[in-house]
Amino acid sequence: MARQAVREQQGITLRGSAEIVAEFFSYGINSILYQRGIYPPETFTRVQKYGLTLLVTTDPELKNYLNNVVEQMKEWLCKCLVQRLVVVISSIESNEVLERWQFDIECDKTAKDETVPREKSQKAIQDEIRSVIRQITATVTFLPLLETACAFDLLIYTDKDMAVPEKWEESGPQFIANSEEVRLRSFTTTIHKPEYYHPSRRFKVLPLLF
Amino acid sequence: MVCTVRFHICTGQLEEQAGRIHSKSQLLQVEREKMQMELSHKRARIELEKAANTNARNYEREADRNQELLTRIKQYQERETEAENKLKEQMEMNKSYKKSMETMSKKLQEKESKLAEANETITILKGKISELQRNIMNQEMQMTSQDSQKEELMEQLDVQHKKWQEANQQIQTLQASQSLLAEYEQKIKDLEQKFSQQEHDAVIVKNMKVELARYPKMERELRQLREENAYFREMKENNGLLKEEVEGLQRKLERYEKVQAQLVTVELENEKLLGKLKSWEKLDQSTGLNIRTPDDLSRQIVALQQRELVLKEQNSTVTNSARTLEKARQQLQEEILQIQSQLLEEKKKREQHEALVRRLQKRVLLLTKERDGMRAILESYDSELTPSEHSPQLNRRMREAEEMVQKLHAHNTELELEVEMKVLKSQECTAEQSTSITKEEINSLRLKIEELEAERSKLEEENRSLEMKLEKLTLQGDYDPSKTKVLHFSMNPASLAKQQRKEEQQQLQEECERLRELVRVLEGGGSIHGNLEGVGSFQSPQEIAELKKQVESAELKNQRLKEVFQTKIQEFRKVCYTLTGYQIDITTENQYRLTSIYAEHQGDCLLFKASSSSGGKMQLLETEFSRTIRELIDLHLLRQDSIPAFLSALTLDLFSRQTIA
Repeated sequence: MARQAVREQQGITLRGSAEIVAEFFSYGINSILYQRGIYPPETFTRVQKYGLTLLVTTDPELKNYLNNVVEQMKEWLCKCLVQRLVVVISSIESNEVLERWQFDIECDKTAKDETVPREKSQKAIQDEIRSVIRQITATVTFLPLLETACAFDLLIYTDKDMAVPEKWEESGPQFIANSEEVRLRSFTTTIHKPEYYHPSRRFKVLPLLF
Repeated sequence: MVCTVRFHICTGQLEEQAGRIHSKSQLLQVEREKMQMELSHKRARIELEKAANTNARNYEREADRNQELLTRIKQYQERETEAENKLKEQMEMNKSYKKSMETMSKKLQEKESKLAEANETITILKGKISELQRNIMNQEMQMTSQDSQKEELMEQLDVQHKKWQEANQQIQTLQASQSLLAEYEQKIKDLEQKFSQQEHDAVIVKNMKVELARYPKMERELRQLREENAYFREMKENNGLLKEEVEGLQRKLERYEKVQAQLVTVELENEKLLGKLKSWEKLDQSTGLNIRTPDDLSRQIVALQQRELVLKEQNSTVTNSARTLEKARQQLQEEILQIQSQLLEEKKKREQHEALVRRLQKRVLLLTKERDGMRAILESYDSELTPSEHSPQLNRRMREAEEMVQKLHAHNTELELEVEMKVLKSQECTAEQSTSITKEEINSLRLKIEELEAERSKLEEENRSLEMKLEKLTLQGDYDPSKTKVLHFSMNPASLAKQQRKEEQQQLQEECERLRELVRVLEGGGSIHGNLEGVGSFQSPQEIAELKKQVESAELKNQRLKEVFQTKIQEFRKVCYTLTGYQIDITTENQYRLTSIYAEHQGDCLLFKASSSSGGKMQLLETEFSRTIRELIDLHLLRQDSIPAFLSALTLDLFSRQTIA
């Protein structure tokens, strides 16, 4: 009880914001994998987060991969080097990119030098994250079914002059030709502002601009 | 000529007389001719009548002949019709005969075809007969060979029979010796058993001795164990009791811990409440309202609430009055505005009127001036009344006056314009006195402003479209390669999935090739080689081995059954032969050949045919042997209708013949 009270008064630091955003990405990617049926639903288990029941994977290989990526993301978010995170869903047989879930990140670089934390309550951020995750679940209703077996990949757009750590490599942007885009909600921790939109095929652009 | 004329004249009279005579002669001639003619006529008439009569008679004859011919024609016609009828009948007959002929010919053809078929069947049958005869020949050959074999076998049988007898004797001796052997063996066994039992007893005795030696030790151990057992039972009871105590204590502990936690919370609450109490008590000091108990506080609160109510009422009244005042104020303001506007209008009208007044005054002045001028002119004219030619002077003066008037009019209009301009300037508040000079500048500036505004709107539109494109590209995932780069984890699930798929594909291709080879081999040879079999069945070699084993075992079973059946059948036939005295063979379907054990010749046999499919009723067929036993057949088959009696009678007969012979 005492610890929580102290945290609320502290507000949002850069490190805290990076943690929140990275955690959100981890749960968001898990939700996308479950909703789009990339992995079988029986490999997912329920956890409580942001006041919702979310599904996370139990597959150890996948967990390991996601943890590696998310840990790296946290470091880069602290240094404000990340511009975008993209979840690319492609068909295994034809290597064709079917869907792209794109998270744009606006990082306020002045927060690196600040010592006074920003004022935004934990609850407000959680509400915003909750609405984004609900929207991810809702978008699945109007997306077309993925008929073929698919696999996913995580692409991170960073600054050009950043050092590439081992185990990571450069790749192409994996565009979709003739795609249609849908822009969805965003949330902000006042330091990091991930905006979120999602291009895919075969449906019209909806006016969900915020 | 004269002479001739005369002659002529002379002769004329002569001629007339000659002519008259001539004519008379002619007349006579003519009359004669006439008479002749009449005679001839009569003759002709008579002849004609005769001819007519003859003609009539001929005609009658002809008529008669005609009638006769007609009758004949009729008769001939009748005959003709009759002949036609007969012809028709004959034709019909002919047709019928032809039809019959055709039928007959068809029948003939059918018969011929049948004949041909019969001939063919005859040929076929002849062929068959020839084949059968050949078969018979072959079979007779076989029979002869078999008879020879039989003779040989009979000789062998005799030899074997002798051997068998010798063997029987030997067997008997052997059996005797064997029985003796058996007795000795039994004795040996008994002795061995006794010996083994004695050994066992010796061993047992030794073990007993060893055990007896152990006995006191065992007693001691027993005592110790019993003591320990009793001790452990006591301990167990103590343990049970202790466990119950422990459980009770644990429960107490839990309760005390809960109580402690509650205590802690209660203490916290206590502190909070004390704090609150203190703060409440402090209130007394802070508010200075003589509060020591909560009752006082409640009283104060009630009083405050009452005051609040009163104040609210006052507030509401005050607000109502304020609203009414505001409404009145607004009305007054509106009235003020109206009055101001009216004032302005009045001022304008006044100014306009003043301007009009000034103009009119000026006009009046001008007009008075004109009038004075005109009056002066008129007075000058009146004063200078002379009969000279006034016209040019008058005209000049008229022109001068007119020019004066025009000048004055022009001056008037100019002055009026100036006045209007001054009025306009006085009405406007701006102090631009050089408007006529700067109008051109204003127009040019306005044009520039319009152009710039048009450019600005175009640039704004371009900006908007570019921003839209940029946004769309960023939505699609575009990025600036000079500032950003795209990274991903090397061991990402998509690449792993691709690798797995490749490996699966390779495996499937290899499997495919193996299976194709198997198929080729199977289609070509039909026999599976060992290595291919191993290759082809790499998925389930065990199943195939099991199946093969099953197949082999089934085949073995089949073979064994066949052998067993054969042996059984042969045994059964032999037994039947020995018991009944007849060997029963099946020659063709439903035909059974019986050969007696006592038959005199090899070929003596009886043929029976089964009339029903189940073999219930049998009929005897004619053979060479059956002809020799007529009496038996008559007696037993025809009269008594019993085949077993017949067969047994036959065996007895043959047996009697054999023994006698």
